[in-house]
Amino acid sequence: MNSKSLSLAELAALVRDLNASGTSVVAPVPTRSLCGADYRPITELNQATLNGALPRRSLKELFLPASEVLLRYRLKKNDVELLPVPTTFTPQVILGARPCDAAGVAVLDRVMGWDYRDELWFGRRAATTIVSLACPGFDGVCFCHAVGLNPDASLGSDVLLVPRGADAYWAMPVTDKGEALLARGTFADLVEPAEVTAFRKAAEEKVAKNLASLPSGFHTFMAQSFDHPEFKAIASRCHGCGACAAVCPTCHCFDIVDEPEGMEGGARRRNWDFCATCKFTVHASGHNPRATQNERFRQRVMHKFSIYPQRFDAVLCTGCGRCVRACPAGMDLPEVLGHLYAAQAAGGVS
Amino acid sequence: MKELQDLAHKLLSDGAVTVVMGWEQGPRGVRPAMITTAANSHRLIFDPRCVHNLATYLNPRRSHLKSLGKPAIVVKGCDAKAVAGLIRESQIKREDVVIIGVRCGGVVRKPTQAPELTTDTVSPRCGRCDAREPKLVDHLVGPALPEPPKTCSVDMVARLEQMPVQERWAFWREELSRCIRCHACREICPMCFCSTCVADKSRPQWIETSATPRANLAWQMTRVMHMAGRCVGCGECTRACPAEIPLGLILAHVAQSVEQRFSYRVSDDPTLPAPVGAFKTDDAQEFIL
Amino acid sequence: MTEPNESFEPKIVAFVCNWCTYTGADLAGTSRLQMAPNVRVVRLPCTGRIDPLFVIKAFERGADGVIVSGCHPADCHYTAGNYHARRRFAIFRDVLSFMGVDTGRITFSWVSASEGGKWRDVVNETTERVRQLGPFIDYQALSFASAAMPKGAELPS
Repeated sequence: MNSKSLSLAELAALVRDLNASGTSVVAPVPTRSLCGADYRPITELNQATLNGALPRRSLKELFLPASEVLLRYRLKKNDVELLPVPTTFTPQVILGARPCDAAGVAVLDRVMGWDYRDELWFGRRAATTIVSLACPGFDGVCFCHAVGLNPDASLGSDVLLVPRGADAYWAMPVTDKGEALLARGTFADLVEPAEVTAFRKAAEEKVAKNLASLPSGFHTFMAQSFDHPEFKAIASRCHGCGACAAVCPTCHCFDIVDEPEGMEGGARRRNWDFCATCKFTVHASGHNPRATQNERFRQRVMHKFSIYPQRFDAVLCTGCGRCVRACPAGMDLPEVLGHLYAAQAAGGVS
Repeated sequence: MKELQDLAHKLLSDGAVTVVMGWEQGPRGVRPAMITTAANSHRLIFDPRCVHNLATYLNPRRSHLKSLGKPAIVVKGCDAKAVAGLIRESQIKREDVVIIGVRCGGVVRKPTQAPELTTDTVSPRCGRCDAREPKLVDHLVGPALPEPPKTCSVDMVARLEQMPVQERWAFWREELSRCIRCHACREICPMCFCSTCVADKSRPQWIETSATPRANLAWQMTRVMHMAGRCVGCGECTRACPAEIPLGLILAHVAQSVEQRFSYRVSDDPTLPAPVGAFKTDDAQEFIL
Repeated sequence: MTEPNESFEPKIVAFVCNWCTYTGADLAGTSRLQMAPNVRVVRLPCTGRIDPLFVIKAFERGADGVIVSGCHPADCHYTAGNYHARRRFAIFRDVLSFMGVDTGRITFSWVSASEGGKWRDVVNETTERVRQLGPFIDYQALSFASAAMPKGAELPS
């Protein structure tokens, strides 16, 4: 399918059409938040803000909810009845996803389909079409370029929209699902116009300034740097609050609990868990292999930039910068990465 | 802030302390700093962006900071109340910390903002401040500063109190729907130092750990009850919350309730006992049949 | 908010202290005083033992109203338990109200071991008040909704 031109009016009609046919539409919606927006369902396009506000949380929770029931159980006389949860979901379209958020979803597909295919994750993935909106480069914190992405990356997207002025978009289908979505309207073909190319280039240049790209062999260097002095006092100011993991598009660790529902049974749930917190690796014996905040923060960096790349050939970070903006103690991942680049360049291994 | 930097330099060179906990300029704005050498004391600053309550770092659970040795800590008046709270509740000993108080003229909402204080940028909690010059100090630095500007923000506590109860329910139902039980509010709070929080107890489990409406409400109400009469109003919980839930509103309401009923305001005098835990035989009981 | 329903029988849970109110309730029973049958009594050593979480749990598990009752000030079997409770519940009542719970659903009382009649009055009054407020559907519904998802995205959870 060719790339298309979409006017605001056509997009608005598409939103109405989707809602009318039972497909929910989720988009960044202006909210009181200091970031300006949240991903919320919309029934009309004008409820959304597609002008660059960064939703305070990523798309992750639309596929991996903060608390999700895995199964229910009912206690019978001499037996337990297990009630599975549905693994098919109402179709939805995410309109105006940030490219860094869409990429996060694709990065997580690796671990979610690794040694066990997570039915709930992929059930939601199958029901969802992601339309990303190319970003002009959000602010001085973002570093998507450094981790191999770009403000106009289409990784994880089914359609990529790029703004053309205030009231039109250029739409590039990326996947079959994206083509199917665009086929719902009669949109004019449009070869990528010069203004779109210019927008994408300017955005890339803007973000590239924020942090240099990961050096080649970075994850190998990281794997060898477990005892590097750089990590000794790296997290003195970190509270272990978990805000970074909460807003991160790629953090996915979870806890599993059984909780009662009434007297007859309950639900087994999986809940987001945060490796920054002090109890994350506490054993039943009371021993904690990551007993200090420095060790926990080191692990966080290692998981994202060494372990995950080694296993899945993908960095567990999309450079969205939310961790920096959310951190109440001024922890700064780009700054840490900069120091590690320097350590690698200096040939320094502990 | 030369006076502060010189003092830190002296304390570290003399070996009186082995770490000074203060604020410094980071890449994006002001952030906490652990200064361990006299040579680095020039990094310490104080301006309206110094929002963080550093008293949390004195929490004995932070083993990686305990290993830095005897601390000096830079505190605003509100922060000093938290240090007093930790001393009052036997978490630290007065003689184990050197307290450097700074005179404060108000702070902005976020440490990444510009340092200019206006009715728009000033943190709303500064309007309730009664401690611009901390008293629980070993040293007091900084010039006397003018009163903070009065915030133009709506007084949400008053507005909520005036709403019909059903509207308040809807308000909190909506706000708490975003809670993901990360417990950042608890981790950043200087007064939340329990080695096993009630929300982490599983035998029996009183508060589920899942981010469900039922458990979220139980968690917030319980935390607020545990903070009654102890919360210093530093606003850090609200600032830390990644879901931007206005937690400070409930805590401010409870602080007002504690003040009205028990004539008690949290202060930086560690010898004054906390109100919940103490009692008077003639406490008001108009709500009791 | 539900309409007051004359045929609705509220479920009331009462957390009472062993030495005063429980004994007073017992006296009401042995004196054959007629009172509403809606109250389920939970006996504790002292009101000072009552954690606000007990009240929260009661509402979570289906109580439409709660009574907390103990010894009069100066009469506590453990000397000061009720004084602590008084302060704690003064604040908790404010917290509940601020979070949007109608304080009509919770009654605090001092009922001594000899006040069988007062216990009957507390029970009857609370039952009627909660009957007018209707079932506490709002709180019970918390158990069946999902959280931390965009509002309206009714994906099964």
